[in-house]
Amino acid sequence: MPQTPFDIQLDDLTFARAKRGNLRACEQIFRAFQQPCFSVAFRICQCRETAQEVTQEAFITAFRKIRQYRGDAPFWGWLRRVVVNHAISTIRRDTRHDTVEYRDFHEPQAPQQEKLGLAMDLEAALGVLNAQDRAVVWLHDVEGYNHKEIAELFGKTESFSKTRLSRARGRLRDLLQPRQSTATGLR
Amino acid sequence: MMTPNQPHRRTEDPLNLRSLPLAEPPRDGWADVEAALLGQARRGRLLRVGGGLLAVAASAVLAFGLLIGNPGSNTAPATSESASALAQTTTEPVPAPLREPPIESLIAMSQQLENRIRAYRSGIGDLPSNVLVYQVELQDLIVQVDEELSATPDSPELWSQRVSLLLDVTRLYENSLRRDYYRMASL
Repeated sequence: MPQTPFDIQLDDLTFARAKRGNLRACEQIFRAFQQPCFSVAFRICQCRETAQEVTQEAFITAFRKIRQYRGDAPFWGWLRRVVVNHAISTIRRDTRHDTVEYRDFHEPQAPQQEKLGLAMDLEAALGVLNAQDRAVVWLHDVEGYNHKEIAELFGKTESFSKTRLSRARGRLRDLLQPRQSTATGLR
Repeated sequence: MMTPNQPHRRTEDPLNLRSLPLAEPPRDGWADVEAALLGQARRGRLLRVGGGLLAVAASAVLAFGLLIGNPGSNTAPATSESASALAQTTTEPVPAPLREPPIESLIAMSQQLENRIRAYRSGIGDLPSNVLVYQVELQDLIVQVDEELSATPDSPELWSQRVSLLLDVTRLYENSLRRDYYRMASL
């Protein structure tokens, strides 16, 4: 089972053709990785249009620099790094993303929707977080970045990453607490 | 230390953020990515043609300089071999272009420009963000030329391209300095 949705295998020939500038090979790579790339950009930026722009810019950068990819590590790791770099640059550049809309999801109406409802709560809670806190918690807990790597991405110290992670987790717990209690009470 | 391209190991996920589904992109972005890549390829071709023309022009200037430098000679324009023979037999200092083939001049020019850019960078630091975009674009093109040069290091066209791109970068710094000067002068 793949550890991450990015873990998609493509044949070496496709990469070789993309390195020579073959657009059909580039399209093949784009189609394979578009969704996981968009998804990580969306989790960091929390705005669909911005995430779409970030994804496109990241792919353009990746295809322009694909000859720098040496093949000594999985391609998806390299591509994800490009997407994350673009997303972090965007949230650092654009303070608009510090204010995000709060989407109020309905309470689950039936027991089978309970799990789905909890997922929606998570989405909403992530949306409430400060952009940098959200990026740090996502990169650390989901994408598996360590504090040193996150600090490098933001141009800050490891303490910054640790503080943000702790704050983001605390805030998420606070936001999720009442619904989790309710969900437990239903059982 | 783990390189940035390495996939990351699984870490703790106390809030179960990994349970969130992949986000769906609002639209297919391939058309925009393809357009950007095609635009880049077109610019690359123009640069190559421009570089070729520059190399031809440089050769013509050198040949002209050769004729001016030897007004007494009524023979056909000297070749580089006859020029070096001339350098050995006469005591007169020979103009620099005669001592070096054009590619050496281009390499020397490229080094001088790099030194100048380095001096600008250490002097005025980073360019303003609106200019930085162009600098990054030019640096990307220089990286592409360097990659091609690693395959064909003796290509005068590629060295010409490199020189003209470096000239563009120095102009960005010089314009920035000029703007600063006028701003200070207006105070």
